[in-house]
Amino acid sequence: MSPTDLRFSGVSRRFGHLAVLAGVSGEVSAGQALLVTGANGSGKSTLLRCLAGLLAPDSGEIECREEGRSLDAAERRRRVGMVAPDIAFYEELTVAENLAFFARLRRARPERPAELLERVGLPGDRMAGALSSGMRQRLRWVWALLHRPRLLLLDEPFQNLDRPGETVTRELLEEHLAAGEGLAVIANPSSLEVSRVAARLELGG
Amino acid sequence: MWRLASNWAAEALAVFAKDWRCEFRTRYALNTLALFAFTTLVVVSASLGPLGTSAARGASVLPVLLWLILLFAGAAGLPRSFVHEEETHTATALRLAATPSALFCGKLAYGLSLVWALELLVAPLFLAMVSLAVRSPGLFVLVLAAGGFGLAAGSTLIAAIIAQAQGRSTLFAVLAFPVLLPLLILVVELTRNAVAGAPAGMALHQLLLYDGTVTIFGLMLFPVVWNP
Repeated sequence: MSPTDLRFSGVSRRFGHLAVLAGVSGEVSAGQALLVTGANGSGKSTLLRCLAGLLAPDSGEIECREEGRSLDAAERRRRVGMVAPDIAFYEELTVAENLAFFARLRRARPERPAELLERVGLPGDRMAGALSSGMRQRLRWVWALLHRPRLLLLDEPFQNLDRPGETVTRELLEEHLAAGEGLAVIANPSSLEVSRVAARLELGG
Repeated sequence: MWRLASNWAAEALAVFAKDWRCEFRTRYALNTLALFAFTTLVVVSASLGPLGTSAARGASVLPVLLWLILLFAGAAGLPRSFVHEEETHTATALRLAATPSALFCGKLAYGLSLVWALELLVAPLFLAMVSLAVRSPGLFVLVLAAGGFGLAAGSTLIAAIIAQAQGRSTLFAVLAFPVLLPLLILVVELTRNAVAGAPAGMALHQLLLYDGTVTIFGLMLFPVVWNP
């Protein structure tokens, strides 16, 4: 077992009478990615929210280990990096102010937001409310990587990105996996061409 | 240990600063609180000003009206701290990034500063407009401070509970009644004592105990409410 890995078994989740997840299992280790695919409504986003600790599964187990130590849901929430369509930022603040705020919460280095903004080509002085959908997606990537997480949970990670945006975010993902300690779970990839894929999980089948 | 406490305090301070930065850019809560408070203040002073009631009745009734003004003005603006996070979908990012207790304290500090600013505006105007003399100004200020703390703490906790629910306005009123009623009873009694120049008595101890209890209860309950 690597020092950083994620295992989940028998994860189920209902919303009222609707069974969105039913006994889903999978695992991924450091340096690898798990692709989660499936039709609309098959539970991909719900699975990622459960893995992030944002939703408690009705049954099943989720075990995330970092440096050999198992993390509970609260620790997973603080440590994961997540890119998801429902992650929004404060429209009254600039991009730089949003990231500075979250960098303080995440205890990231103060210069980290500027480094990532330059990498993805986002202006820090733009109001978050004035960003296009593609720029918001780049901002989500920056936000997710602020604190150098080991586990990346990516839900529709390349949505709304233009070709340069998709190129740079794929580079960031590859660097994250190539570093050896990072792992990723990717749901709804626009393209399945992601290297270091350990397994593919088809939901709703 | 010291480093953990320092990080926690930095988180709470970041939340407080962020809320005020957003508030200065929108002025939503400030305008709502000030407009509500000023409107009710004018109505009260016009209806029950120096010509509208006897001094004895005024000393008994006017403290009630003062705290009703503060309560309803606070209810108009304080719940927004958490409700706005849910409505604009920034709550998910906060759930992933913030320590719950630090987030609660940062929001509480923001609400408290709003309430104290409201009291700073309303209380002197109220006293002047209804010509109410306060014989124990020190007790009066203490009651405003401690009562404002209780109002902020109770409202922050209720706001966190209702933020994810439907029918928030109704739910706030329903939840606020049992939580804030003891506070209102105590601050009205203490304000009457301050007006009359009477000693605070046990009521002040009870008010401070209320403040501590609501705060501790909020810190314990908030992580459960915030993270389903």
